[in-house]
Amino acid sequence: MSKLFLGPSMRRIAAAGLFAGWMMASPLAAAGDPAAGADVYKSECAECHAVKEGRNKKGPSLFGIVGRKAGSVTDYNYSDALRKTTWVWTAEQLHTYLSQPAKQANPGTKMKYDGLSDAKDLDDLLSYLSTLH
Amino acid sequence: MPSFLLRFAMCRPTHRSLWSGIALLLLMASNAAHAIPAYARQTGSACADCHAGAYGPQLTPYGMRFKLNGYTDTDGKGFKVPVSGQLTETHTAPARGNSTTNLTEGDLYLAGRLTDNLGGYVKIEADHTGHNTYNTKLSNVDLRFVAKELKMRGKDLTLGVSVNNSPGFQDPIAALPNAALIGPPGVTGTLLNPSSPNTLTDRVIGASVYGLYDSVWYGEVGTYKSLPTSQQDRLGYNINGDPGKLGDTGYFRFAYMKDLKRQFFSAGVVALTTKRQLPRSGPSDDLTDLGYDLTYQYLGNREHIVQASYVNIMERRHYGTRLLGPDGFVAPGRATVHDQTATLTYTFRQTYGVVLTHMLSTGPRDAVRYTPYGDPNATSNLITVFWAPFGKDDSYTTIANLKIAATWFRFTRFNGRYTNIFGAPPGALPTSAGDLNAFSVSASLAF
Repeated sequence: MSKLFLGPSMRRIAAAGLFAGWMMASPLAAAGDPAAGADVYKSECAECHAVKEGRNKKGPSLFGIVGRKAGSVTDYNYSDALRKTTWVWTAEQLHTYLSQPAKQANPGTKMKYDGLSDAKDLDDLLSYLSTLH
Repeated sequence: MPSFLLRFAMCRPTHRSLWSGIALLLLMASNAAHAIPAYARQTGSACADCHAGAYGPQLTPYGMRFKLNGYTDTDGKGFKVPVSGQLTETHTAPARGNSTTNLTEGDLYLAGRLTDNLGGYVKIEADHTGHNTYNTKLSNVDLRFVAKELKMRGKDLTLGVSVNNSPGFQDPIAALPNAALIGPPGVTGTLLNPSSPNTLTDRVIGASVYGLYDSVWYGEVGTYKSLPTSQQDRLGYNINGDPGKLGDTGYFRFAYMKDLKRQFFSAGVVALTTKRQLPRSGPSDDLTDLGYDLTYQYLGNREHIVQASYVNIMERRHYGTRLLGPDGFVAPGRATVHDQTATLTYTFRQTYGVVLTHMLSTGPRDAVRYTPYGDPNATSNLITVFWAPFGKDDSYTTIANLKIAATWFRFTRFNGRYTNIFGAPPGALPTSAGDLNAFSVSASLAF
């Protein structure tokens, strides 16, 4: 059986295509304003999460968070509770997770967050997080 | 600092060259750092996460929580060496006297976590004392045991114990004078003020139990005793500044604090009561500090940060002896004095900032205790402009930090007046309050 081999540039193009397709299929991510979401990130998330790739704080880097399997940043020490989930951080999953206290969404998690109750702020945040690739 | 202040205040005019030392010491206080790179290495956080200006000292709500959690928060990547250093070079131009440029301070910080429940902050400070000599002393100490993530009636609860050497230094809101590292200078002053004559700051040892309930209600109870003069001497302090012997000392703190992410506000009360023998072989004075503090922070998206605080501490004194003046006057047996500090800080992109501080030290007339005019009132201001280019998530380096600051310290009233504040006799050169002013430029490097 023949295999399809892609060079690095082709892989990037393919990944971008997949991401674009996913964005188009994700109304939650598309509903918000990424610029406003950057402000929400700074006031709600930035103390514990960096957006730089490979930069982990109390929480793991948010670079590439949308579409990433939960608990998959290799050099971050996750809680058992999060590591045991089979979640993928789709916009829908992030919306569910962030709209309630973290310890309610994932009992046993290390994350201390009371949840984001403002629907617009949450849409904006998800839209911003979707740009972090 | 405060012991110098008292001595200088009582000096004859021939010693006026020393008065610039008052301003210098205040400037050093204003440049004190709390942004410790060892904490950044431990947590993976940027200095700017805990401090509004990336070099400190003004705390964000996140920084307050780090302090409340006993300096134990971590990024979970194993043990980090809890050691940092700081060097400060300062050019000082006093209103009267020669300008100087010196490496004014070198600090060693032992700061960080030992376990999930044990952490601390210890500062060892070497201050330039002239002629290329330095005096090394044990500065602030705050060692903590903390129990986190407890629950009471379904609400979050944090309980901890702090062992520290300055009442108020351990406070999370960091508005009280010992936590803000500055208080109104003058010839009288409260127990909680690090600028008071014979201050308790760094010369006592105490322990307190604190709790934070539901993330908003903060309470603390503790006690202190002064270090023996021999120990103060060994720790680098001149025994002329001895705070005296303390007995039946109690510290109480209660505050409401609300973190709204984009804003923060708090309101609190504080009390410190003691019986003090100063000198130690003398009679005992009953002293009780009662104070309140209000703070507000606009944090927004951290582009423009505005922080405001006001602290008013009243001290009631019942003197153990009746002093007799040279003209047969008897000094009052009771007095009430006040220390007030109002501070406004604006920070742009956590990099550029301006800090305005207005300080009042006031008390009743007392011709015996407060020579030459019987008026202890003093008014002063501290104005600082700073640049802190590093310490953010996207900074060139996260293992070191830099702050360049220009500070203007000014007195508008000392010993109750602006002119001839030390009562120089006719023919002698009088000193005005403005002669105590000073301007400085400093560069601080933390690593």
